[in-house]
Amino acid sequence: MKGINKITTFFLMGIALFSSCIEDQDFDQYDDLALEPVLEASILYVEAPERVINLATATNFYTEDFNFDAFSADVFADRVIDGSITYIVTNTTSKELEVSIQFLDEGANVLDTENFTIAPAPTAVLQREIAYGGTGRSIDIIRNTSSIRVSALNLGDTTSTSNLPDPKVTLQSSGKFRVEIK
Amino acid sequence: MRKCTLLFLTLFGLVFCALGQNKQLLYDFTEIPQSLIVNPGAKTDVRWYSGIPVLSGISFQAGSSGLSVNDIFADDGIDINTKVRERAIFGMNPRDELSGTYQLELINAGFRGKNPDIFYSFGIYNEGDAIGYWFQDYAILAFEGNADRLNQRFDLGHLKTRGELMNVFHFGINKRVDNQLIVGARAKIYSSIFDFNSTKNKGYFVTTEGQNNLFASTLEADMQLRTSGIEALREAQDDGNLGSTILKRGFFGGNLGVGVDLGFTYHLNEQTVVTASLLDVGFIYHANDVKNYTLNGSATVEGIEVILPDALTDPNADFWQDLVDEIEEFVPFEDNAESYISFRPTKLNASLRYNFGEQVMSRADCDCEDLISGGNFRSKYANAVGGQLYVINRPRGPQPALTAFYLRRLGNILALKTTYTVDKFSLSNVGLGFSLQAGPVNLYLLADNLLAYRNVAASRYTSFQFGLNIISWGRN
Repeated sequence: MKGINKITTFFLMGIALFSSCIEDQDFDQYDDLALEPVLEASILYVEAPERVINLATATNFYTEDFNFDAFSADVFADRVIDGSITYIVTNTTSKELEVSIQFLDEGANVLDTENFTIAPAPTAVLQREIAYGGTGRSIDIIRNTSSIRVSALNLGDTTSTSNLPDPKVTLQSSGKFRVEIK
Repeated sequence: MRKCTLLFLTLFGLVFCALGQNKQLLYDFTEIPQSLIVNPGAKTDVRWYSGIPVLSGISFQAGSSGLSVNDIFADDGIDINTKVRERAIFGMNPRDELSGTYQLELINAGFRGKNPDIFYSFGIYNEGDAIGYWFQDYAILAFEGNADRLNQRFDLGHLKTRGELMNVFHFGINKRVDNQLIVGARAKIYSSIFDFNSTKNKGYFVTTEGQNNLFASTLEADMQLRTSGIEALREAQDDGNLGSTILKRGFFGGNLGVGVDLGFTYHLNEQTVVTASLLDVGFIYHANDVKNYTLNGSATVEGIEVILPDALTDPNADFWQDLVDEIEEFVPFEDNAESYISFRPTKLNASLRYNFGEQVMSRADCDCEDLISGGNFRSKYANAVGGQLYVINRPRGPQPALTAFYLRRLGNILALKTTYTVDKFSLSNVGLGFSLQAGPVNLYLLADNLLAYRNVAASRYTSFQFGLNIISWGRN
């Protein structure tokens, strides 16, 4: 009898322990989970020494279209939500310059243009951040960009030389974009 | 096709969802023949036993050391993105794991030899085992990205995972040396169905201030994923013969390995017993259907760089493609079919047990004098308490668990064992199991972490073992 009572006690304990409960779970929350990292990297760097500018006979001393598939690649274009591109133009030459950036689609149509007119050294640093998506310019500009055109105009002379060391004009740029993974 | 896909996913799911390997309830629970599987040197007093095929031993263990379902999916009104960020992304660390195992016995039987001091056991079981550590830096990159994280290195070594599915063919010998000592060994042949491991990754990704441009992105990688059998299963899935391929690979048609289990039971005195076992000291040689992937090298990029006048020399230059080619050259992603060896996760068990209370007549004591040299099997006691140690070798080093247990025998019909275990998964793991002997039929059920059943979703660890055996002590 004593043994039976012990068995009963053990089983009751077991049943009590096994009587599982589960708090309310809402698995629909998964739909609200947003994996939207913000990725940042450099895009394009262009450097032109003053001696190259002085060698050019035309005002437009440089124009080049760069193939740039990073934006239009499906893995990015299908997922990008919004972001911005930051430009820094630094001029240590002795002349005023105008630098133009254009985003082109596959048909070489201009999607977007950004112009920088920059004074001669020593006060010549321009920084600009252009937003895309949201309240900024259309994010479709980014999605459809297949190449970047850079052109530069010399608004000054072709004889003077800056007295700063290694005089040149540089264009630095980086992108910072939010992409949707889920 | 849909069924095949489901089966394929289920197989992988089983391996990924099963976690932990400690069998503290079964260990040294000598009423259950399967205790020989976790200690080939365990005490056994039966003439023979035979598991009911496929039902003799089913065990499943699952655990997560850092997170539970409830942590993320509780209906608590908190935004899931906040919960994921606080509790998973930054709440866990790279030592947290999602790991586990399952075993399904296909055949298990044992018999006493002509020399009654020697007991033989053999069988086949199917086993899946996997572990994945929390890949924290990858998760931060995926959830938040690298923006505004200048100079923060994302450690590629956070990817550390391994998993395997196999059949194990085993044959064990258990020998009673004298009245104090029982030793045992079990030889194993592993027939691997599939295997994957990526455990020695090194390197980092970092964004720093650029030399020319605004940012420099650096990838330094020494990464490797080794697989065997995956491609064969994928092709079989496409061809609609996944089941037969799994069967074939599980019965010596895949990759083979060998291993050994060792164990002993030693009576320090009449009532105090020490036991230990070392399981799965072995390896598998993978040469069949091997596919390995490597990412090895270093590259730093600052976007497209155009520096005049050098850039004018080639008017047709494609700077973007040059950049892509340069990265692929310096950090090539390659595959190969080189054979490799994978070592099994070796496990160590040890226990110290003190028996007390009234003595319980063993079934073997009845009229089985021929079973035992001198007919002096040690008596069983109604009660036993003790402690157990378990250590498993994992990719981030040995992982221990400590258990205190109490065993209660109610006659020779019912035996109950309760355990309290402390490990990285839980500090409140209470387990309970019973072995019921109804005539020749032995039924056992063991379950872990019972306190977590108050809210199953909040549990970070769960396991159960179940089995049916036919046992003979020589009289039936």
